Amino acid sequence: MAIKYQLPTLCSIAAASLFVTACDSAKPSSYQIPKETREVSMPTPPAAETQAPAAPNGMNVLPGMKEAAQAAGDLKYRVPEGWVELPASGIRKANLRIDDDNGSAELTVTVFPGDVGGRLANINRWRGQIGLDSVTAEDLDAFTESYSISKHRGIIVTLEGGIDSIIGGLLPFHGNTWFFKLQGKTDTVLASKEHFKAFLDSVELPDGHH
Amino acid sequence: MKNLFKFFSSLKLTVVLLAFSMALIFFGTLAQVDTGIWKTQKDYFESFLVIYSVPQQAALYDYLHWLHIPLPGGYALGGLLFINLIAAHITRFKMTWKKSGIFMVHFGLILLLLGELMTDLLSVESQMPVDEGGRSNYSQAFRQNELVLIDRSHPDHDTIHAIPSKLLKAGKTIEVPDSPLSIRTVSYYPNAEIGRATNGKAVKSPATQGAAVKMGIIVNPKEEVFAENTINTATAYVEVLGPDGSLGIWLVSNVIDDRFPPQMVSLGDQSWEIALRFTRHYYPFEVELIDFKHDKYPGTEIPFNYSSEVKVHHNDSSKNQKALIYMNHPLRYEGLTFFQASFANNDKTSIFQVVRNPGWVLPYISVLLMGLGMIVQFGIHFFKFLDKQSSK
Repeated sequence: MAIKYQLPTLCSIAAASLFVTACDSAKPSSYQIPKETREVSMPTPPAAETQAPAAPNGMNVLPGMKEAAQAAGDLKYRVPEGWVELPASGIRKANLRIDDDNGSAELTVTVFPGDVGGRLANINRWRGQIGLDSVTAEDLDAFTESYSISKHRGIIVTLEGGIDSIIGGLLPFHGNTWFFKLQGKTDTVLASKEHFKAFLDSVELPDGHH
Repeated sequence: MKNLFKFFSSLKLTVVLLAFSMALIFFGTLAQVDTGIWKTQKDYFESFLVIYSVPQQAALYDYLHWLHIPLPGGYALGGLLFINLIAAHITRFKMTWKKSGIFMVHFGLILLLLGELMTDLLSVESQMPVDEGGRSNYSQAFRQNELVLIDRSHPDHDTIHAIPSKLLKAGKTIEVPDSPLSIRTVSYYPNAEIGRATNGKAVKSPATQGAAVKMGIIVNPKEEVFAENTINTATAYVEVLGPDGSLGIWLVSNVIDDRFPPQMVSLGDQSWEIALRFTRHYYPFEVELIDFKHDKYPGTEIPFNYSSEVKVHHNDSSKNQKALIYMNHPLRYEGLTFFQASFANNDKTSIFQVVRNPGWVLPYISVLLMGLGMIVQFGIHFFKFLDKQSSK
């Protein structure tokens, strides 16, 4: 017979203890984790993309990028024939424009600290911008060639898309990565490849290490 | 008092409560169309009272917009059923062998209610995306955010000081544990749009430090969203206080994440990265995704199988484990359950739902108990019947 009263008592104790433990869920805490690398090893889940920050000028410029760009110093270059130089702005170190019969294209030079996710991630980001699917590391050789920029080993990437294309230069340079991106109408971009290479040849980066 | 006891132990109450439960499930299902499963669960089942109104998208909205139906919420119904059952046992049931089956069924039911409450209160859900060939040692809860200060000065480990965003209330100051800093929240927006002011325009911003000042970042608060596959851009202005006063006001937001250079807070020769991010749960092991399979019926785009082949690398290597995770076949490991939830990135990334539910075993025990109780009760009656037959 004793069990008759034990059961409800037990249950109410269990219920009460649940409420007590539930109350302390939100508290500041402090803990250690194994050393993290800053590279993004985890992709953002698809849902996150729906809420990307909407920058009024169409570029996702986020805190820290501009300071980093300023810290990297300014570059010297020669403007190829027929190209128009636009003022550098925000995180852009240089900004040039080409107009020809087929359309127009724009060359932008930017610099970011670190490797910005690595060569593959950056190339896939560019591919995404002109509507191409991502590729794997094994495929990279098909459209990259090594190229010396400002006396350092960089690469040239040629991405031929449908309407728009990109020819880009990537250069890891003393802890930063420099991006030279020529993007615009496919015909204009492909016709400008030699000019683009001439531009890269003329680039001199601020080098305090030599 | 006696009347109250009689009321709570009555069978009529049980019937009324069960009827309300059915109504709650019915209207809760309708509401899901409008608000998504997460909010519906909070509004209808983890509450004491809910008022149903016809959603604007409904075909009959023009005729029924005045209709508001108040219903007792899940906690109210569950709690009352719990009291009802216990009160009935105290007043009406006598513990005898003849009724032991019924006792088992009822005890199973009590356990089921308690298990449900425990799941609501204690279970933690988060997501872990892993790339093929990649590893991850943490999961993220996309409905919760935390303000973190990360000290990366130690060569072997990073120290994370985390403050749940729930505690970020405008004007409130919170001490950062194990550090000389404290945080005063200037303002907190559960959802916002972040952008850059066009050049020349003055920006009204409380920020005095970090990128927000130099960049002219503007914040437009937005309404929180709850539908599935939506994410709130939690954003805050926080003032960091050292022992000798303010170090400045920073803008933090969960869109300013690992993809971008960190914002730094410095005090003397110490420095911390400051960020607002989705609440992370770190584990003493890494999950490696070996292969993700997304099989389709031949010649169609209709999937018949999603599966992830994983290997778990534990700090204690004797706990390493391989597993294949697929529909209805989660990996249970160290008190966590990994479900195949989604995928991304051209089938190169698998996303797991990671659930820590200390009460996960209770529903199984309760269902077992109820089943056993029914067998016992039926058996007792059956053998009594046989006895009567044979004694005739």
